[in-house]
Amino acid sequence: MNPWLIAVLRFLAALGLMLLNGVVMIYMLRKVLGRLHIRLGPMDNGPWGMFQTVFDVLKLLTKEDPTPRAADKLLFFLAPVIVFVPSVMAYAVLPFSRTWVIVDLPYGLLFIFAVMSIIPLGILAAGWASNNKWSIIGAMRVVGSQVTYEVPMLLAALPVVMMAQSLSLSDIVAAQSGTFLWILPRWFAWNVPALVLFFIAGLIEAGQTPFDLAEAESELVAGFSTEYASMKFGLLFLAEFSNVFLFSALMVTLFFGGWQIPWVSPEFTQPIAPVVFMLKTYLGIFFIMTIRGTLPRLRVDQMLATGWKILLPAALAWVMVTGFIIKFGQMFVGPR
Amino acid sequence: MRIYGTGILKSMLIAYRNMLRKPITVQYPQEKIELPERARWAVALEYDEEGQHKCTGCLACVRACPDYVLDLQMTTAEDRSKHIDHYRYEIGACMMCGLCVEACPFSAIKMSHDYELARIDPDTLTVDLLTDVPAAVPKRKTPAVEPAKATAEAPAAAPATPAAEPAEPAVPDGGADV
Repeated sequence: MNPWLIAVLRFLAALGLMLLNGVVMIYMLRKVLGRLHIRLGPMDNGPWGMFQTVFDVLKLLTKEDPTPRAADKLLFFLAPVIVFVPSVMAYAVLPFSRTWVIVDLPYGLLFIFAVMSIIPLGILAAGWASNNKWSIIGAMRVVGSQVTYEVPMLLAALPVVMMAQSLSLSDIVAAQSGTFLWILPRWFAWNVPALVLFFIAGLIEAGQTPFDLAEAESELVAGFSTEYASMKFGLLFLAEFSNVFLFSALMVTLFFGGWQIPWVSPEFTQPIAPVVFMLKTYLGIFFIMTIRGTLPRLRVDQMLATGWKILLPAALAWVMVTGFIIKFGQMFVGPR
Repeated sequence: MRIYGTGILKSMLIAYRNMLRKPITVQYPQEKIELPERARWAVALEYDEEGQHKCTGCLACVRACPDYVLDLQMTTAEDRSKHIDHYRYEIGACMMCGLCVEACPFSAIKMSHDYELARIDPDTLTVDLLTDVPAAVPKRKTPAVEPAKATAEAPAAAPATPAAEPAEPAVPDGGADV
């Protein structure tokens, strides 16, 4: 088959997955939040309100698309694209199974971090182009928090890289197969401090509550997306949900064995690997959503202080500790 | 000793416990919660056994209403029989305080259980309770004794307590007309 056709098909698969994820996750969010509040969530359209988000998307697609008169027209148009495209790009290296990877880069982890760090640029562009106080405050908050938390997030992923001896996500998953101490699955999640640091930093990276300062509804209307309507808003919104999915998928890949089921051989898991991966990812998303429904939002200064004063030193220290443990392990027990 | 993060764990536990509970809300248009017996919603007319309204046009409700929501226009004919031209009720301004119902001496109006008061057309916010009907004539429950007593005491009582007179006619006058 034509390699270009294959590339296009793979891209379309990623795009389709992303759009579908957005629709499913918005429905899931409303249901989970509803259950947390001891109510039912959307119930009217379709069985158990399942078509609600489909109709919402149709509504977004058919709405008028106004541009504020004071806006920077070009940047206002480009910003959703700058936010959306990196989000799709990051899907390229997610290993859904041993063979289901769009591109199996040897430095996939680095690629994801590099691509994801473009997103705040797009958000800043959106906030600036909107020419609106809420938007610019929200955008500045995003940039501030992303600059703060990108470093701890990378550093929190480093112990995993050190343990797996690879930056390729497929290799990291492969390194987590089997068990140790006879019973425990060999997940990198046992490196608990790294997991916790990665999780906290990732919540901020994905802009989720307790750190959703970027679009703190009660303070900033909708933050950087205040002036956006119609499908431009839809793109910003989709990118946000896609980031949550990416973050959860990354966490599953780095810490929870990716597409593998513990105690079951990879050969056996192979046919249902994508399903397992999606299930694990959605479990992570569920956890993030329950956090969103439970915890209050932090202040900006609290968030920045946590980032610079606690997370960054802790991540640095933990990289060192993990390095020592691995070196000593190799010295006394021998290479794995 | 306080450990950092226990509060977060506790709140998460409460959240998960809530997820296991049954929803406390009802699916409103399909199912409705039964209102308490004395719930106060839109004012409505009360009818007697024959399906007749009981309003005598005494205006007590109009005077009692703090928001001037009720509007009753009434004309008195030569033979002192009363005719209600209109009796209007502005739902949009009513705060369901129930003072009009308390003021009504004949139980002609009540606080109904009609709480679905949203309107598409703002003109329908004014409800015509009664239009162009003769006012009801209150029926006495104990007619046999009353007239005799009234005739016997009236000459003696009237000059002695003139202050009591203006208050009285509002209620028994209609009955005396029969």
